[in-house]
Amino acid sequence: MTLADHIRAESARLAALCTACGACVRACPMTPYAAGVTAAGPEAVAFGMRDVLREGPGTPEALAWIAACTRSGRCTEACPERLDAAFMLRLAQWRAKGALGEPPRFPVREDTQFSPKVKAFARLTLAEQEQREWL
Amino acid sequence: MALGTPAPTDPDLRTEAAVFWYGCNMTRHGELIRATTRILEAVGIAAAPAGGPGHCCGSPKEANARIAGGMAQRTVAAFNASGRDTVVTWCPSCHMNMQDSMAPVTPTNFATVHVTEALWARRERLAPLLTRRVEARVLLHAHHGFNGRVAVNDMVPGLLRLIPGVTIVEHAYRAPGHMCSAIAAVPGALADAQRATLAAMAEAGADTLCTIFHSCHRESVALERHGLRVRNWIHLLAESLGIPAEDEYKTWRNAEDPRAAIGEARVAAAGEVAFTRLVEPELRRPPPV
Repeated sequence: MTLADHIRAESARLAALCTACGACVRACPMTPYAAGVTAAGPEAVAFGMRDVLREGPGTPEALAWIAACTRSGRCTEACPERLDAAFMLRLAQWRAKGALGEPPRFPVREDTQFSPKVKAFARLTLAEQEQREWL
Repeated sequence: MALGTPAPTDPDLRTEAAVFWYGCNMTRHGELIRATTRILEAVGIAAAPAGGPGHCCGSPKEANARIAGGMAQRTVAAFNASGRDTVVTWCPSCHMNMQDSMAPVTPTNFATVHVTEALWARRERLAPLLTRRVEARVLLHAHHGFNGRVAVNDMVPGLLRLIPGVTIVEHAYRAPGHMCSAIAAVPGALADAQRATLAAMAEAGADTLCTIFHSCHRESVALERHGLRVRNWIHLLAESLGIPAEDEYKTWRNAEDPRAAIGEARVAAAGEVAFTRLVEPELRRPPPV
């Protein structure tokens, strides 16, 4: 199995169980940072998120919500179906970022200097032996 | 025995071997890796540190499942080959990714235990070692996220209460997200969270903000410019244990001239180009609040 297989399988499994009731959206502390979510309403936003898991296009509001997900986990606590809604959002984020090879549906900020930066700081804070053994 | 299992209080308990997976992005805080390893050792866990880009969960490349999956698979394979039956995690992203998308894809032969769980399970061995007083009125820098997976917002204060002199003050505020690097990626969210944190500190009468995770510490140290102290929970435990753990990153981040604070010899050792392009801009960046 690959990560892509896992994303596809888990997306389908969880989308089949989700009722798009909107409890996850209502519980989310990040909705103030997601344009259009309040106006669209929780059920419509949850419906759009589930659509992304079903390989659909989603909606602009759902994509804004998916983009603003920071893994607060309040959605999982709120889900009446006892689904891991935070993981659903994670799956939706992977898909919307284009992880499965599709064009990204919102701007993806990737720090191309991430690894060099980690190593540069390591040279400042770790002894040479620690770098050899711990990195 | 997996490390999540509560340890017996027998002082002759054998030392257990584990990997301490500190994550990919913890190298700003070498003293935290070092001190955490020594604290784990003090409670009977010989944990070999492993991290950096070579032990990545794949998060930095999550817009490409092929690359992220390959990184994750290599990391699991390395841990499987380590011969150690427990991986003690630090980073909440790494921990959740191991459980949600790494182990389900690449079978593991180890248990995954968060460092707070490992220490909490051995608190009876830790407590007598915390002999030095640390005077601090501490507010925990708590997020909503991850706590549903591992009860860090309960276990960290519980461990800190074992330190003579530490008082934990309560406040209902919880920042969104699972750690500050997540909310830093959403425009305005980190600044809002830091303003709320400053308000909570004042309302609770705290003098010390205690971070749990590395990215929260990295983003919070500049709050010392507002007249409070920012320390990680490992800094506090280490001080009480007598383990040296100087927070150099905080010094550099709050220095008028970070290059001078680090010193030219160490800048040269890190590499002039790397320092100028990768390190200095972060240290000089204006804080969110």
